[in-house]
Amino acid sequence: MTLEILFSPLKEPLILGTAIGILVGGIAMIAGITYFKKWTWLYKNYFTSVDHKKIGIMYIFVALIMLFKGGIEALLMRAQTAVPQNKILDSNHYNEIFTTHGVLMILFVAMPFVIGLMNVAIPLQIGARDVAFPRLNLLSFWLFLVGCALLNISFIIGGSPNAGWTSYFPLAGIEFSPGIQNNYYAWSLQIAGIGTLATGINFVTTIIKMRAPGMTWMKIPMFTWSCLITNVIITFAFPVLTVALVLMTLDRQFGTKFFAMTDGGMDMLWANLFWVWGHPEVYIVILPAFGIFSEVIATFSRKNLFGYGSMVASMVIISLLSFMVWAHHFYTMGHGVLVNGVFSVTTMLIAVPTGVKMFNWLLTMRHGRITFTTPMLYALGFIPIFTIGGVTGVMLAMASADYQYHNTLFLVAHFHYVLIPGTVFGLLAGYHYWWPKMFNFRLNEKIGKVGFWMIVVGFNVTFFPMFILGLNGAARRMYTYSESTGYAPLQMLSFIGALVLVAGFASLVYNIYYSIRYAPRETNGDPWDARSLEWATHSPVPEYNFAIVPQVSQLDEFWYAKKEGRDLHAGKIEDIHMPNNSGAPLWMSVVMGLLTFFFIFNQFMIVIPLAVITLLFMAYRSFEIDEGHHIHAHEVEETERRMRGDR
Amino acid sequence: MAELFPKEHVLGFIGSIILTFAALSVIWIDDISLIGGLVILWITALAQASLQLVLFMHIGETADKKALYISTIYAVVVGLLTVFGSLLAMIWGY
Amino acid sequence: MSKHNNSVPLEYSTEENDLKIFGFWVFLGAEIVLFATLFTVYFVLVDRTGSGPIGADLFELKPLLIETFLLLTSSFTIGLGVHAMRLGRVKPMIFFYVITLLLGAGFVATEVDEFLHFIHEGATIQTSAFTSSLFTLLGTHGAHVSFGLLWGTAIIIQVVRHGINARTANKAFIFSLYWHFLDVVWIFLFSFIYLKGMM
Repeated sequence: MTLEILFSPLKEPLILGTAIGILVGGIAMIAGITYFKKWTWLYKNYFTSVDHKKIGIMYIFVALIMLFKGGIEALLMRAQTAVPQNKILDSNHYNEIFTTHGVLMILFVAMPFVIGLMNVAIPLQIGARDVAFPRLNLLSFWLFLVGCALLNISFIIGGSPNAGWTSYFPLAGIEFSPGIQNNYYAWSLQIAGIGTLATGINFVTTIIKMRAPGMTWMKIPMFTWSCLITNVIITFAFPVLTVALVLMTLDRQFGTKFFAMTDGGMDMLWANLFWVWGHPEVYIVILPAFGIFSEVIATFSRKNLFGYGSMVASMVIISLLSFMVWAHHFYTMGHGVLVNGVFSVTTMLIAVPTGVKMFNWLLTMRHGRITFTTPMLYALGFIPIFTIGGVTGVMLAMASADYQYHNTLFLVAHFHYVLIPGTVFGLLAGYHYWWPKMFNFRLNEKIGKVGFWMIVVGFNVTFFPMFILGLNGAARRMYTYSESTGYAPLQMLSFIGALVLVAGFASLVYNIYYSIRYAPRETNGDPWDARSLEWATHSPVPEYNFAIVPQVSQLDEFWYAKKEGRDLHAGKIEDIHMPNNSGAPLWMSVVMGLLTFFFIFNQFMIVIPLAVITLLFMAYRSFEIDEGHHIHAHEVEETERRMRGDR
Repeated sequence: MAELFPKEHVLGFIGSIILTFAALSVIWIDDISLIGGLVILWITALAQASLQLVLFMHIGETADKKALYISTIYAVVVGLLTVFGSLLAMIWGY
Repeated sequence: MSKHNNSVPLEYSTEENDLKIFGFWVFLGAEIVLFATLFTVYFVLVDRTGSGPIGADLFELKPLLIETFLLLTSSFTIGLGVHAMRLGRVKPMIFFYVITLLLGAGFVATEVDEFLHFIHEGATIQTSAFTSSLFTLLGTHGAHVSFGLLWGTAIIIQVVRHGINARTANKAFIFSLYWHFLDVVWIFLFSFIYLKGMM
């Protein structure tokens, strides 16, 4: 492997420009941190912190940056297809960009955003001091970041994966995708996936075992419920991805025949395994958003959630059904009527519990005193737009009709109509909602609302034309088309929508800047007059979360305590046991990142010593005696006094 | 010395040896049908697995019994769905 | 956080220990799905042997019986190790753990020998879809056992150094769960790869 091949992507002006942009941005960031002498501070307070709130903030920070990278890729795609026979991108670049757009948006935007909000909110909602395994939590974050970094450097070193985010064989195999590009796909997903699996186990344990005294199953806040279900799905779906990616690596790098075209290999087996994981993955990113909507709608309607029990039941049913529908992603593979029939029915069944949830939200708002805050707007926008996504989903679920829609822009429009209102709106609602819990001020409401309207309008203008284009026969993943197809006007409209959408997302960043400078600082921990326990403690939340763990006797305990004038935190403050920070997760992830990087390039003589070092890190962890530390009662009392403002 | 070899474990071990030989019968019985063999294998394998889970791994010894059973059964259900769903999609119904 | 509860065994005795055991059970759930996926691949590809050998040509009864006996016995001895630990008998505990790892090492050695036999018969991991899935499924289990040998050694060293306390007991117990689980997986490999293949 010569250096010339390694850096060959840099020969393209567009890639070179991106590379320079990343380099300049990176240098500016590093220089800025150095100039303000923040390295030690960052290392001590964030990079090595096992505090769930800080880990959550780091996840959300990375997710926002990746949202912009994925967004720019989307804009490039829409710009390329805005007019017929456009020449902004050639076919290979277009392939690379739609591949990384998909991978980034699902695995490096939606996932970290979801996991970030889980980290911020769940321990607080259940009245815990941290997650079950704080050190593992930090390791999960760093493994995710290493996976993310690998995918991003692929643009510059060696070239990005270009076989679609689903990377179907035989296209993704070594025969049709020679070179190392798709090795990046396998390894960046693999390493981030292992981190996510650890998160799943961590949060299942946290939610089942660490709830405040008295918080029985039917008194758990709905966001926590939705995340319990989500993490159960993560725990049992991600191993399938792990295996599928190992097989991909073996096929591509060690000449095995799993998905080969010869010697008995079966290329469609990849598609099968991918979607056995992939369909539950859709619910992994959407159920937490459902939980957020439940919190937001109840809070801003000033009513308790309608149909709590049916909400829980429908999520449990969704979690099981999500493992029974995967073959609807490849109805056109050519299997028999029985298979398509079975998966068609299970797919349509999922619409039932989802419909139950929809009606519950609507009935929660009925007779409520609704306040139209930014998070509430996202929740309100979600309901009609997501319904369009759901209804087109039922259309696609019909196997015989699917032959018409398959691989057209109709499908692209459908899943964006599901994922953007479902996941993105949910995450943005949660982001605006919990922002004052992460920091001690709210994001500006006016800019937030303007941003909401730009995103809603931009989104619909971008994606609605794709339904029509798809029905007219426009295939997805095509980098260009001819004038005679007649696609041009709607494609142009879609591009204009994308511009508005980008402006909407930019307003999010402007809002951060504006609010840091001008927003009034909060004096109590409950700016929204909300219902669940995370609002019972101060903002920003002290390291130990709750000076005294609250006793729970009903759902929305905090709300009723407020109304009845009860003090949730009565009792004597005692010493609090907390976990120690550690640098090991960061450095172990760095070693594993290097390991995978050299693995991608088949440099096994370097991989072996790095694997040994990874094992040594594990041995260190096994032999280490770490009893954590105590925050003494008088320190807690002092912090509490300072937070209350009576210094 | 005897206290180091509790009855439960010794019987469990003997049970697992017996189940192993019971499973081996499928290759010793001449002309066994595929279905018959698979039934024997499923019964012996599931019995062995439950024996390990309950007698050796003590799955039911704490207050978390219910959650652990649900988690394990959920995993087994997802595993079976994956195996048989894939066989349906890729072999039987192809 | 470290409230002591005398009604449960030592390895559960702190909140952290209790969480670790619970979390490990959840992890084993994930492992069940991982092996189920590898079984899926094997079952789908088992008849797709290309021009390579089929299962009945490869599998032999003798190494299979040795492997099965070694692993079943090691599962028994580690159970005895945990029992000794709960009685507070450190020496028998270490003895049973060492025996367990020796049996495990014997298993790995037999399996390596068996793999060499497969290769000798013209079945490498690259020969056909069937052999790819066979080596991957058996190899993943074998890699788990090999990792267990390293992990178990680290735990024995700690028990020798520090005796039986809440921390070492917790680690030793979790390791025993892992080891029993590998035995459970082997039962399925034994039944549905070997015996079904030899039927």
